Amino acid sequence: MGGADRSDRKRRQAAAEARLRAAGITPKRRGLGGSGLVLTIVAVVVIAAIVVGVVVTMNNKAADSAAPAPTYPVARNGAAITAGQAAAPVTVDIYEDYLCPYCERFETTYKDELTTALNAGQIKVNYHAISILDRASNPVGYSTRAANAAICAADAGIFPAYHAQLYAEQPAEGSAGFSNDELTAKGTALGAGPAFGQCVAAQANTGLIENATNTAAATPALQSNGQFGTPTIAVNGTKVDVNDTDWLQKAIQA
Amino acid sequence: MTRGRVLDGIGTLARLGLAAVWLASGLIKALDPAQTYVAVRAYDVLPREAVGVVAGVLPWFELALGVLLLLGIGTRAVAWLSAGLLLVFVAGVTQAWARGLNIDCGCFGGGGAVAPGQTQYVQEILRDTGFLLLAAWLIVRPRTLFAVENRLAGSLVTSGSGAERN
Repeated sequence: MGGADRSDRKRRQAAAEARLRAAGITPKRRGLGGSGLVLTIVAVVVIAAIVVGVVVTMNNKAADSAAPAPTYPVARNGAAITAGQAAAPVTVDIYEDYLCPYCERFETTYKDELTTALNAGQIKVNYHAISILDRASNPVGYSTRAANAAICAADAGIFPAYHAQLYAEQPAEGSAGFSNDELTAKGTALGAGPAFGQCVAAQANTGLIENATNTAAATPALQSNGQFGTPTIAVNGTKVDVNDTDWLQKAIQA
Repeated sequence: MTRGRVLDGIGTLARLGLAAVWLASGLIKALDPAQTYVAVRAYDVLPREAVGVVAGVLPWFELALGVLLLLGIGTRAVAWLSAGLLLVFVAGVTQAWARGLNIDCGCFGGGGAVAPGQTQYVQEILRDTGFLLLAAWLIVRPRTLFAVENRLAGSLVTSGSGAERN
């Protein structure tokens, strides 16, 4: 039935073409079937690419429901904040700047994995807040103010949540960043007492942060091609490549 | 006929050139998702969630356009998609320039904030305009050599007319 229909249509089409030819017009062979097939292939390939992109993105993003809650202790030593048990066998040093977008990527990508390992006592992490992007905020100095506030947060006992929040809400480079009042409000909302706000406003840790920044930048083991940047991650003192997504598991198993 | 041959040749170069552009930029972006995320975020247009989706999908979309152009499947349709994407890129760079942001376009890797005075908006827009010309050629005259779609169309026409005669 369908075949009869088709051959009927073809006959009529051929007759129409013959009339056109008789009138001196060359009918264009557009090949509707071919063009339909080609467009279908294009659509399938493009949609497949989009699906791959979405799936890859979903896989990289940790499921929120599975996010482990931090249960590890936090101690402070100068500008460095140590998370996890002092007896943990593996030491991870994280050099980060609160305005650095790659540090935000690192935090977002590895936060849950680090928390799990910290909770289990497999690692301890020294967070070194670095202020190399002070000039990238307008007005300048957000990196230092945020680093100071994070030290205050460690003293106030809210460091893990505060650290996570500063990255989850990270301001863009070139922006003003959070004011000291905003930095205080975030900590207060997480349960910090009045001393936290005073600590943020006083910016008493500025000198410590500057020293830590200069020391880290001058440490050859932390440089690539003679340059120090953030984020820089070291395992037991040796810089690791965090584009290798297994870096932490390898460190734990080593 | 000779003129048609020459035009076919130019179209083929345009098609393969644009394919190389998409394959290179897509591959670089797919291999460094963090970099791509930072580059997309630096345009400061989309909310965070949308940045993640765009940064995740864009490399694969570019690779798909590149593969289709390389093979020569749906050249005109893919040229339209290419032109649309290039216009989005030009719009993104233009708004960053107009708003006084200091960013690298991240067109072929890189991207993110740069120091004031290190921006290259004019070069970036001119380069995209050049790619747009390739796409425009293929939209106007999609016929090229060594395209898979030539064989697809050819085989269909042959089998169609064959069936009619028998």
